[in-house]
Amino acid sequence: MGGSSLRVPLTLVAVAIVFVVGAVAPTRFAGDFVLRLANEGLLLGMLALSVAFLMNQAGLVALGAASIYGGSGLLFAIAMNDWNLTPVWALCAAFLIIVVYATVLGALIVRTNPLAFMMLTLAAGEMISHAVMLEALRDYTGGADGLVVSFKGTVFGMEAADFASPARFWVVMWVAAWLSGLALWAVGRSRLGAILRAVRENEERMRFSGFDTYLPRLIAYVLVNIVAAVAGLLHVLNAGFVSPESLGISVSTNSLVAALMGGIAGSVGPLLGGVIFSFAQDEFGARGLTQLLTGIAIVVFIVVFPRGVVGGLSSMAWLRKLGFGGRRETS
Amino acid sequence: MIALLIANSLALASLLIMLASGLALIYGLRDVINFGHGAIYMLGAYLGYTVSLVGGFWLALIVVPILLALLGIAFEYLALRPLQGRSHIEVALVTLGLGIILGQIIIFFYGGVARSVDAPQILSGSVTVLNLSYPVYRIFLIIMGLGSCALLALWLRYTSSGLYVRAVSQDPSVARMMGINADRLSLLVTSLSTAFAGVAGVLAGPYLSIDPGMDVTMIVNCLIIVVIGGTGSIGGAIVAALLFGFMQVAGSVFLPNIAALVPYILLMIVLLVAPRGIGRGRVLN
Repeated sequence: MGGSSLRVPLTLVAVAIVFVVGAVAPTRFAGDFVLRLANEGLLLGMLALSVAFLMNQAGLVALGAASIYGGSGLLFAIAMNDWNLTPVWALCAAFLIIVVYATVLGALIVRTNPLAFMMLTLAAGEMISHAVMLEALRDYTGGADGLVVSFKGTVFGMEAADFASPARFWVVMWVAAWLSGLALWAVGRSRLGAILRAVRENEERMRFSGFDTYLPRLIAYVLVNIVAAVAGLLHVLNAGFVSPESLGISVSTNSLVAALMGGIAGSVGPLLGGVIFSFAQDEFGARGLTQLLTGIAIVVFIVVFPRGVVGGLSSMAWLRKLGFGGRRETS
Repeated sequence: MIALLIANSLALASLLIMLASGLALIYGLRDVINFGHGAIYMLGAYLGYTVSLVGGFWLALIVVPILLALLGIAFEYLALRPLQGRSHIEVALVTLGLGIILGQIIIFFYGGVARSVDAPQILSGSVTVLNLSYPVYRIFLIIMGLGSCALLALWLRYTSSGLYVRAVSQDPSVARMMGINADRLSLLVTSLSTAFAGVAGVLAGPYLSIDPGMDVTMIVNCLIIVVIGGTGSIGGAIVAALLFGFMQVAGSVFLPNIAALVPYILLMIVLLVAPRGIGRGRVLN
């Protein structure tokens, strides 16, 4: 390709312009209500990103995103309320505990086959949501009432009121979404990503070729859970409240739908899928149809549009090649 | 005390066996875990409630499994067969979606409140065996559970269609080469599996409560059992269901504070000790 030396800087400039405009423009032109929906959309988009990355690169479907998302938020609240940590230390503590949990869980379950992995993540997610409701832990977790978090002082130079303001939070959310999207995109293109895809195609062959097939999958699992944990912490900073619903299975299935909707290849699709889901939920949720539509969306997007909205619009061949969909036999 | 404990865990295990062996059967033939199985069980329970109101418990116990067997045939023709060429994960996700849809439809018609079904006159009350008084209904549940379990084992062992099912579960490609029609078998097995879920749903009515969350609870329990039993092994699933039932009941007696977590702890221990489960299921990659 002759023009590629020019095309790369041009793409970079275009991406930079989108980044800056996206960070500033909505805070000027969009109302609080729309911004709030967009914030929720990007939070869900980050969860969708973690689901999609694992699905696309490792062929593993995780149905336990909610336990990491809600769990990190809950731990932050507990660290603030019960352990009397400063907000920054509470964030660190919650983050570390959730990463250790994800590592231990991942060490147990990534060695199983993809179908068992899917079942086990569902079971682990249910385990956490049951644990939170235990009578013995009620003083800590707040049980069905959830926990209120109000912190004094600043986190990253922002006060609690700043996080609660939709416009201020949008900038944080926008940057976080970009960072996690770029990070996972870079990992996907690295050697780790190549090994993951090879293991996805044929685990046995990779093992015979002298590759460790266990550690790369474990790293990938921990990595996507870090993204989910960051989303959970941002959520609690924004909402100032953790409810047990944020640990429920519907959060996990919502993020799966957002990932399928946006298309699981690449980083833009899942994030966009989250935003689409958030606005669609606002449209239909009032009529109590969200869960029904979630179920329909899973079926439709897998059967009819396996590459999602973004994947379906783009005609790049490598997307199809990396894509999880299509009519690929894995037996 | 111990006798009561064992009887109670057998009663719970009876329900779990009917559901988990249905899951394992479909898995053996199609390599698909039906994540919608919990919703089918919930449908069985709610239909059982309605039919019981109209024509009594015994009618429900006959009609509901037949209705759900028809649903199983539709599931086979409309979902499993058209998606045969897709990866197993995709099919599993479709069953998850279908399960959510079915669950929401049930909630739409019945509302979000819990319902209860009364056991028929002959099964209510309790009976005294060896100085222990025990509810008749639970004894009936145990007989039904172990009975259907025995019928299933006899079918698999002594009939030609049972032999074919075992053959396909063990090695699909060789079985096909020997001229076994896996599609026809799958129709039989899928309808049998959903009919079993229907029986379990009707039986659950007077024993557990019928509520909108029962599908998720049950599917998660069944998935744990299937993993512990060794994916696809029916014998393993039965042993795992008995173990699960015992742990659950014993947990609620001896460790009431963390009883809800006991199944998960069991799962983690089995995964640590024997990642492939206790049965000799076919492990696929």
